[in-house]
Amino acid sequence: MIALLLWCSLALAAAGGLGVCVLAARRTVVAWKGRRRLDAEGRLGMTAIAVVEGDAVDNACLSEADSRVLASQLRRLSGSLRGTSTERIARFFESSGLVEREIRALKSLRAWRRAKAAFALGDMGSPDAVPELLEALRDPDSAVRGAAARSLGRLRAANAVAPIVFALTERQLPVSVAGQALLTIGPDALPGLRELETAGDAEARAFAVELVGLLGEASDVGRVLERLRDSSAEVRAKAARALGRLGAEGAAEELRIALQDRIPFVRVQAAHALGAVGDRDAVEDLLEAACSDTFESARAAAHAAARLDPEAVRSATRGGNGGVHLREAVDLLEASG
Amino acid sequence: MSIESGKRPVVLVAEDDPDILQLVAFRLERAGYEVIQATDGEEALRLVTERQPDLAVLDVMMPKVTGYDVTRQIRENQATTQIPVILLTARVQEADVARGFEAGADDYIKKPFSPQELRSRVQAILGRR
Repeated sequence: MIALLLWCSLALAAAGGLGVCVLAARRTVVAWKGRRRLDAEGRLGMTAIAVVEGDAVDNACLSEADSRVLASQLRRLSGSLRGTSTERIARFFESSGLVEREIRALKSLRAWRRAKAAFALGDMGSPDAVPELLEALRDPDSAVRGAAARSLGRLRAANAVAPIVFALTERQLPVSVAGQALLTIGPDALPGLRELETAGDAEARAFAVELVGLLGEASDVGRVLERLRDSSAEVRAKAARALGRLGAEGAAEELRIALQDRIPFVRVQAAHALGAVGDRDAVEDLLEAACSDTFESARAAAHAAARLDPEAVRSATRGGNGGVHLREAVDLLEASG
Repeated sequence: MSIESGKRPVVLVAEDDPDILQLVAFRLERAGYEVIQATDGEEALRLVTERQPDLAVLDVMMPKVTGYDVTRQIRENQATTQIPVILLTARVQEADVARGFEAGADDYIKKPFSPQELRSRVQAILGRR
């Protein structure tokens, strides 16, 4: 029995020792690889710059490992650059066959490989990848779909607007990923978003209206104003918010009507928007809403009124009148000096 | 100070991303400027005091001291208050831009940026002096 225990403890000690050796060896290898990569990055830094600057680079002379390091450097750079610099980076990736390789990898059976490829294609900056990335928005794996949306944003693919919005409404993409992708496309996304403002799907309309509020211009006010009469409360709320962001003074009258909307969160957004567009004629309605509406709407109305006419709010609360929300708004006014 | 006057204008570039730092330095050196480099805000402040560059290009989000604070300290120091500052920023909210100008920046460039545009802005500012 004692001998058996002795053998067991010896076996355990040996296994532990072996484990430590494996970990140490692994650590050494990782550190060595890291150093080698750093060396290569130092060596290839000027080559990456030469690509960005449009100088001749003979990438046939590069080893496989160096090509990988150079590609990762260029992908990192491309995220911070725009204009001809990114076009040159894209041309480099196209001519070296890396774009084609990553497009092929989008068909890989392994989801992590497809996601990696979808991600890399955005950094490479080649518009050649757009059709395959659009297809990848329907990939069964959520990481692949997310990477594809991000890359379509990076590629400023205006034709990706509707597919991204519909992927969002079909719960194929999280709001944050879809929103970020469309914001990265920037004003080029506006034509697609404007079309979606009247889409059949209420969620798509709401998302489009919200983004038009962020990216749009004065000429968008008319279309957004129509959405203030939408059958969906979500769309009406987003429209009110967008009008505030667009600084739509001409929408003040409609926003005052929206202060009476039967859905509280629409009234909240209408109140905020009236404060943002600077409609002093709305002060009376806002003061009334601040005293009589439900919690969030009343609070929003009080804050909007304080923004538009601090003196009117102070005067409404004199003698302990005006309710809690107006008094809170006055407290905030005094605190901010 | 212009390049034609003989002496190369000195430009400080402070950026914590080594790839971007190297690229911007290369682009400005190629355009005829002498470039001194810093990888964080503290080093940038030290170089500003020691070398008194003709212009500083500062990333906003730098370790140790942010680009805003470096700009503010440049403005507060009598010896460096005249140095023009261009902020390089990934933050593009109006408030961030306003914060940069309030700190005393002369110009800002948002990331992603075009190296050609950066060079033109540097040339424009130094050409005015």
